[in-house]
Amino acid sequence: MLFNTPQFFLFLLVTLALFYASPKRARRWILLAASYFFYMSWNWRFAPLLLSLTAVDYAAAIWMERVESPHRRKLFLVIGLAANLGFLGFFKYFNFLAGMLAQVLGKDAHAFALAIILPLGISFHTFQSMSYLVDVYRREQKAIRSPVDYALFIAFFPQLVAGPIVRAREFFTNYYKWIPPVSEETLRGVLWILLGLTKKTALADQFAQIADSYFQNLAAHPGAPAAWSGVGAFAMQIFFDFSGYTDMAIGMALLLGFHFPANFRRPYLAFSITDFWHRWHISLSRWLRDYLYIPLGGNRHGALRTYRNLMLTMLLGGLWHGASWNFVIWGGYHGALLGLERVFGRKHFQEPPHWLAYPFRAAITFALVCVGWVFFRAATLHDSVYVIQQMFSWHGKGILIPAWLGVLLAISLVVALMEEKFEWIDRLVRGPAWAYVAAIAMLLFSVELIGVTETAVPFVYFQF
Amino acid sequence: MRAAPVLLASFAAFAALDGAVFHTSLYPWILSPDGSTGRVEMVLRNERERPKDGPQVLGIGDSRMIMLPRVANEHTAETGYTFGTIATPGASPRSWYYMLRDTDPTARSYRAILLAVESYDDAEIWDDDADNERDLSYIVARLRLGDLWEFSHSYDDWSKRWRAARGILLKGLVYKRDFEDLLLHPISRIRYAQLAHRDSFGWLYGYHGPPDTVSGFQVDWRARTLAAPPNANPDLVDGLKGRLFSAPPPESGRKSRYMKYWLGKIYDRYRDSPTRLIFLRLPRGGFVRPDQPPYNPHSSVRELAAHPNITLIDEHFFDSLEKPELFHDQLHLNGPGMDRFSVMIAQEVARILGPPR
Repeated sequence: MLFNTPQFFLFLLVTLALFYASPKRARRWILLAASYFFYMSWNWRFAPLLLSLTAVDYAAAIWMERVESPHRRKLFLVIGLAANLGFLGFFKYFNFLAGMLAQVLGKDAHAFALAIILPLGISFHTFQSMSYLVDVYRREQKAIRSPVDYALFIAFFPQLVAGPIVRAREFFTNYYKWIPPVSEETLRGVLWILLGLTKKTALADQFAQIADSYFQNLAAHPGAPAAWSGVGAFAMQIFFDFSGYTDMAIGMALLLGFHFPANFRRPYLAFSITDFWHRWHISLSRWLRDYLYIPLGGNRHGALRTYRNLMLTMLLGGLWHGASWNFVIWGGYHGALLGLERVFGRKHFQEPPHWLAYPFRAAITFALVCVGWVFFRAATLHDSVYVIQQMFSWHGKGILIPAWLGVLLAISLVVALMEEKFEWIDRLVRGPAWAYVAAIAMLLFSVELIGVTETAVPFVYFQF
Repeated sequence: MRAAPVLLASFAAFAALDGAVFHTSLYPWILSPDGSTGRVEMVLRNERERPKDGPQVLGIGDSRMIMLPRVANEHTAETGYTFGTIATPGASPRSWYYMLRDTDPTARSYRAILLAVESYDDAEIWDDDADNERDLSYIVARLRLGDLWEFSHSYDDWSKRWRAARGILLKGLVYKRDFEDLLLHPISRIRYAQLAHRDSFGWLYGYHGPPDTVSGFQVDWRARTLAAPPNANPDLVDGLKGRLFSAPPPESGRKSRYMKYWLGKIYDRYRDSPTRLIFLRLPRGGFVRPDQPPYNPHSSVRELAAHPNITLIDEHFFDSLEKPELFHDQLHLNGPGMDRFSVMIAQEVARILGPPR
C-alpha cells in the first residue's frame, strides 16, 4: 500500500475517522492496529519479525533501567543492539558479505547467496529502536512501560517504512501530552500531504522516467549533456521522491496530533557539502552524528581523528543505504568532500557566502552532489565510472530533460527560494483563506494533470 | 482560519477549476487532432458544423467504415440524400452511443444512421471490446457526470471500472498525455489545433484513400501460407498472416452481450424517432478466410432487425469488393475500393429509404 495510491488514502481516512471517533483510551490501539495493518499489507510474514524485535528492545530497555550495575546495563544494551544489528545485518548485508566471501574463495559470486526478501523499512525502524536503547542506556530517556506504547513508537505507520527517524523523546512528548490538532495544524497537515503527493507524482515520477531511460541504457546516450541531464534527472527524482514521502508522513502525523521534525530543508540550495548535509535527510544525519560520530570522538581529539570519524560516519551512512560498494563509495565521496571543506576552512563552508557568490557556490555544490548520485544510481561500479567519464567528456549533444519539465523545475526553484526566504508554507496556513484555498486547488490540479497516476511508482527509499 | 470550511472551500475550488477547464469546451478546443480524443472531437465538430441541406444520412463505425461522403454525395441528385460520417478508427458501439448522443441530441436529425459492423454473427475477436479502455480516451470529452455509473460499470474488470469512473470525474487524468504534448510545444500545438478547426473538414471530406493494393500476395489456404511479393512491407505481411491464419478466439458470448447492450441502447434512442437504423456488414478483406464464423440467428444485429425501424443490408452485399486489388492492407479498402464502397452505400440506402419525403 503505497502512499500515492487511492487505497492508502482510503486507509488514512478510515484510520482518522476511527481514531477521532474512539474514546481516548482506545486510540493507541486503533493506531497500533492501523500501523500493523499497513505493514502487513506489504508482506504479512514480516509482522512477527517486527513484533519480536519490538519485544526484545522493549524488554532490554526495561531491564537496563531496572539494574544498577553498569556491566549488566551494558549487557542489556548489547543484547538489544545485537538483535537489531543482527536482523539488519542478516536481511540487508548477508548476500553482500556472502558474495565477497565467495569471491575470496574463488567461487561464483552467488555461491553462498540466499533468497532473502528485505523487510520493509527495516533500516529505519532498527535505527529508531537503537537510538531508543542508547538513550535509555545514557539515561536520557525513561524506558517505556507500556508495550503498546512502545510498539506504536516503532510501528507508527506514517514513518514506519521510510522515516523520518524519530527519537523516542520527540515521539513520546507528543504522545503523552497529546492534544488534538488545532485548525492551523490540520490545514498544515493537509497542505504537507498534498505538497508531498505533488512532489512524488508530478515531479519525482516524471524525472524517474528520464533517469531510468538514461541509466538503463547508457550506451544510447553518450556525451556530457545527456550524462548531466540524466544524472540531474535522478537528483531531482530522489529529492522529490524522498522529500515528497517525508512531507506526506509529516502531514499525516500532524493530522493525528504528532509533530515530526523536518527531514529536508531545500538541500539543492546548499552552498557547500557541509550545508547540504544540514539540509538532506536531516533525521539520518542527526542520528549518525549523535550515535556514531560523537561516540567515535567527534572533533574532540585533534584533526586527524576528526577526519577519520567523519569518513567512518559517512562510509557507514553510505552502507546504511544498501549493501553495495557503490553506496560505500558514495558515502566515502561525501566523507572526503566534508573533510576537504574542513581542511579549507570550516567557517567558510558553514556560513552563507555573499549573496552574489551564493548562486555560484550553490551550483558547484549541486554539481558535486550530482557526481555522488552517479554511484547511488548506477547499477555497477563500471557503469558509475562510465557515467562520470561521460559527464566530463565535453562532447555530445542532446539534453534529456524536456523543456516543459525544465519549466516545472524552474517553478520549483522559485517556490524553494521563496520558502527559503519567506517560509511561505507556514505563512499560507496563517494567511488569508483564499491563498490557502488557491494553493490546495493548484496542487490537486497538478497531480491530476501532470502526476504519474496510471501506475503507482514505489518510493525510492522504500528499498532501504 | 477554521479547518473544515477552508478545506471544503479548497476542494470546491479544485472541482470548480477542474470543471471549468475539462468539463466545458475549453480544453477540448486545444486537443491535438492526432490524439484519440482530439480526433473524435474533430470528427464530431465537423459533423455539427457541416451545413445540412436536405435529408441527411450519417455513417458511424471504425476505420473500416470508409464511406467517403465526397463520393456518396456526388450521387445526391440521384439518391436525394446527403451523407456525413463520424466513423472513427478504433471506435466500437460503446463509443458510438455517446458520439451519436451528442451529434444527434434530438435523435431526429437524420433520415438514417448507418452502423457498420464486422459481422452479423457477433463473432468473437481477440480484441475484447467490452473491456477496451480506449473508449474512455475516445469519448472522455463527451462523457457527463450522469454517465459515471453506466459507463464505468460497462467494464467487467474492476480496475478498469475504477479508472473509467475517476476518468469521468477528473478528466485531466485522461488528458494527461495530451497535456504533456501541449507543454512540449505549446505554440505550435495551439496553431495546429486552430488549423484543424479551420481546415479539418477538408481533410476528412477531401480524403481520397491510398492507391496501394495487396494484389501481389498469394494465399494457400490448405498449406496456410502467404506468398508475399518482393519488397513487401514486413508489417503488412505480419498483419495479413495474423488476419488470415490466426486461430479464432473461443466463443464466450462476451462479444454478443456487449453488442446487444450498446446497440440496444442506440436503438432505444431512436425507437420512437423517424430515423431508420441501417446495419451493414463491412467488406471482410482482400482475402476472405474459408472458416467463417457459424450463422448466429440470435446475434445482436439479427435480433434488432425484428424492430420496425431497423434494416439490415444483405450481409453479402459488399462481397464484390472483397478483392486484393481493392484493399491496401489486411483490413482496409484502398482509394478505388472506398469509392466503390461509397457509391454502393449511397445507392443501397436510397433504395431502402425510398425517395425523400
